[in-house]
Amino acid sequence: MNTPLEFKIQEKHKSLRNFRELPIFLYILCMLIVFSIIIPGFFSTRNFINISRQIAVVGILSMGMTLVILTGGIDLSVGSILSFAISIGGMGIPDGKSIWSVYPLVLGLGLLLGLVNGFLVTSISVPAIIVTLGTMNIYRGITMIVTKGKYITPIPSQFLYIGRGLTPFLFLVGTVILFIYITLFTRFGRNIYAIGGSEQSAIYSGVPVKKYKIAVYAISGILSAFAGLIFVGRSAFIQPQAGIGYEMNAIAAVVIGGTSISGGAGSILGSFLGSALMGLILAGLTMLSVDPYWQGLVTGVLIILAISMDSFQKLRSERRTL
Amino acid sequence: MKRKKKGIATIFQELTVIQELTVAENIFLGREPIGFAGVLDRAEMERKSQQVLNELNAPFSPRDKVGDLSVANQQIVEISKALVLNPRILIMDEPTSSLTEREIQNLFLVISSLKKKGITILYVSHKLEEIFKICDSITVLRDGKHIHTGPIKDTTPPDVIRMMVGRSLNMMYPPRTAQKGDLLLSVKGLTRAGEFQDISFNVHAGEIVGFAGLIGSGRTEVAKALFGATCPDSGDIEIRGQRTKLFTNPFEAISNGLAYLSEDRKQEGLILLLSVRENISLPIVKKISQYLFVKRKEEQDIVDSLIEKLKIKVFSRDQVVETLSGGNQQKVVISKLLLTNAQILIFDEPTRGIDVGTKYEIYKIMNDLTADGKGIIFISSELPEILGISDRIYCMREGSIAKEFTREEASPEKVMSVLTGGS
Amino acid sequence: MKQRNEKLWSILILGLVNAGIIIVLSFLSPTFLTYENIVSVLKRMSELGMLAIAETIVFISGGFDLSVGTIMALSGLIAVQMYIFGLPFFLCILLALLGGMAAGLMNALLIVKLRLQPFIVTLATMSIFRSIVYGVLRGKTLTQFPESYLAYGDLTILGLPFLFIVLVIFAVLSTLLLERTYIGRHIHAVGGNEHAAYLSGILVDRIKYTVYILSGFISACAGLLFSMRIRAVIPDAGLNAPLEVVTAVVIGGTAITGGKGSIIGSLLGVLALFLLTNGFSLLNLNPFWQQVVLGLLLIYVVGREGITEALAGKKLKKRSHQAVRIDRAQ
Repeated sequence: MNTPLEFKIQEKHKSLRNFRELPIFLYILCMLIVFSIIIPGFFSTRNFINISRQIAVVGILSMGMTLVILTGGIDLSVGSILSFAISIGGMGIPDGKSIWSVYPLVLGLGLLLGLVNGFLVTSISVPAIIVTLGTMNIYRGITMIVTKGKYITPIPSQFLYIGRGLTPFLFLVGTVILFIYITLFTRFGRNIYAIGGSEQSAIYSGVPVKKYKIAVYAISGILSAFAGLIFVGRSAFIQPQAGIGYEMNAIAAVVIGGTSISGGAGSILGSFLGSALMGLILAGLTMLSVDPYWQGLVTGVLIILAISMDSFQKLRSERRTL
Repeated sequence: MKRKKKGIATIFQELTVIQELTVAENIFLGREPIGFAGVLDRAEMERKSQQVLNELNAPFSPRDKVGDLSVANQQIVEISKALVLNPRILIMDEPTSSLTEREIQNLFLVISSLKKKGITILYVSHKLEEIFKICDSITVLRDGKHIHTGPIKDTTPPDVIRMMVGRSLNMMYPPRTAQKGDLLLSVKGLTRAGEFQDISFNVHAGEIVGFAGLIGSGRTEVAKALFGATCPDSGDIEIRGQRTKLFTNPFEAISNGLAYLSEDRKQEGLILLLSVRENISLPIVKKISQYLFVKRKEEQDIVDSLIEKLKIKVFSRDQVVETLSGGNQQKVVISKLLLTNAQILIFDEPTRGIDVGTKYEIYKIMNDLTADGKGIIFISSELPEILGISDRIYCMREGSIAKEFTREEASPEKVMSVLTGGS
Repeated sequence: MKQRNEKLWSILILGLVNAGIIIVLSFLSPTFLTYENIVSVLKRMSELGMLAIAETIVFISGGFDLSVGTIMALSGLIAVQMYIFGLPFFLCILLALLGGMAAGLMNALLIVKLRLQPFIVTLATMSIFRSIVYGVLRGKTLTQFPESYLAYGDLTILGLPFLFIVLVIFAVLSTLLLERTYIGRHIHAVGGNEHAAYLSGILVDRIKYTVYILSGFISACAGLLFSMRIRAVIPDAGLNAPLEVVTAVVIGGTAITGGKGSIIGSLLGVLALFLLTNGFSLLNLNPFWQQVVLGLLLIYVVGREGITEALAGKKLKKRSHQAVRIDRAQ
């Protein structure tokens, strides 16, 4: 049965599932322990609640980003969608509109912009990175023009509930659980991995690839808008410059979480842990009075470490076959 | 998609499985059974997958990740994918190319049980012994034309070969006139875990050494390791009697007089974006430069002379290579190799996807090269051409060299039987 | 032949578009075609143009360098900081250039040795370098440059600003490199089909090192030019660079996938960008319209073929099916 050349098939499917996220999980534990020891007051409920609020926005963005990257694409416009949605959707706030009319509008705008992204990526043969680079600019520009750069403040308290206490984190966790469910337990989720793994094969197997791609960009759009709602809840004012640079943070979280940038492999849980790790380290550094200027260095090094390890593993399993 | 609904399933030769997903997920890709609230019914998927896998006596389970399986097993997953659709017509395109003898027997058992169920199978293959074993009727195509259809009991293998080839074997190939000269290359004990082991062979000046084998037997892997594109684990090579260390990249191999014509000319042999001139001159573009600048005139002359010598049909040397026909593209790659002044040339499936007329031209080119004192390693899955122009034939099976034949000793039946597991 | 024509056509079209914009703007605004304005535009183009040159080379090799803007900031910082420490100025410049090359080397090492994707690697290094600049400057602006150095910023030779002339020299040299030397040929090969290039005996790794170190060097030069122009080193130098550079290069006809491209095209792309900026400010238009137009332009230019395909509808899909069948037969 087994020729000398056949690989031995090991029954490690169960442990394989946890395996991928294990390293990050361990890092997080390490960081928690280290920081708790060297920083007084780190291991406190108040601190953790604070940190959790901070990672909520990027965390939610990274959920949508994960799906997009899994299909082999990328969405650079999430920050701009966030800003567009809250700035334009929120224009009714000074006039006294309630969350029941503003929230749906904001989410609707996010959905719309995401759909535009999806259509462009699937119907003209332009790489997603270019499309979303373009829409990033377009959406941001329109936002600035329509709002004339003005802030919206003050924000009525009904909009702030979503940003209080543990609420942001709970929403994040809820989103994470929902998406873990989708990616691991539904046909939709499996097909997303399939498209990223080999688009041709997915097409041959009858997966409606176009529809799926439009869907993931739409989801990314809605989640960007949703993240915006939480952002407003926390910062208590709306500025059209919001969200600049958020796409990089989201991508960083996704990559650190073990998702391959070329698609087909990775996990929602990983992205969640990635954003948690980033948030944790940044919070720790802040408490250590490390200059905020150095945060970029830390993020950058983290990213490199994360992808290096992933690459190391890959390089070791396959020897040089170019 | 429409075809699936009508009950036609196809098993392609190239793998369409997705490495990161499990066996069950691949088998049900695009048609996963859904339970409540859109959840994948994994239990059902695994159950049905296991059923099919049992029929095929597959040595793996539905939960294994496809990427962890060997190529042969991945092909079994491919077959399972089609079987699970309960098709009325099943098209199989070279299904046994990566299977071992026992796996092939299993497949034939499955095929006969499918036949009993009333399923029609279109079995596309060039392996005559398989066709004659399991098929009831045979259709022969050649160069896109239909040649013959009829019951198999009314035909014999030689008939079929003649129909496939179009003329008798003798006139297909130019006569060999080159004399066997000195030992150019001597390989001993070349091994790369998982791909091939203990490969030893010789190539002399003036020789065409054929490497016969089924797909997956490891010939391309040996060639690539020899050429430095991949790293062998161990082995010794001697070039013109000198012990040489194993090459770690193609640059070293080329500097030592080796050249490699890849079986995949579009992905590995050519840079489709660039022109004919730029492709051909690529290996020597540094040599014909002065102070970093490429000597235009010299490049043009060299390229023109090769276009003429190999009769490459182009409008201009600046034509983008992508627009050339398969045969002309192949000639461009061969020209490129010739410019490296290699003494030992490895031709991997050089006539794949090329029309009959150009095929003959390529055989002639190979002849002329050996007449010049070069040695050629000729890898091909088309038995007729290996038998037609090789001076000696090495038969590879599952990563080892099973037997060596001289031209006189070899015959289609003998070679085939070695390749498929006989002695 | 066909490829060369296409390339010339797209450069021509871009040139015409630029000319068109110039004509329109000169009608709409009296101050546009004045000497002062032109010199101002040319000067401001210089450093972005240099970055575009660097990025073009990287793109043609099939890579991606998001860190060009930050290397620009870093080099200015190194130059001024070393000078503050008391080193002779030419040494400071040397160190700045070496710094840029070292940054490029770091990129290359990660990309080559660890086989990491250039997009992510340079995303990370961009973050790291920017953070270093922020951390050292701490929000301050440094202006301690020798006056003789800063004077170059105002220098004009034959009416053209010195900064622009430097850009032109780099453009000429890099075009020669890419189109006429064997190194350029290798770069095109690696970008066109890395695997085929490897099998043809090209030392792909060496090319990648060359390309990223070169990119670092050119970005460092851009940094020096920038500091000459604004007479200072600021922490936010080159902050928008990734976006603007990639947009300009892509508009200019260089493919992100590699294997083909042109320096002239990229510079025309940069020019188009600047003309738009300039035009907008002269016409007192909301500058944010510029962002929108840029985004639209980017998508349109890259997607031109795709858009007409999509409009032509299903016809093209059927043809591609046939192509697939023929392909597989071969």
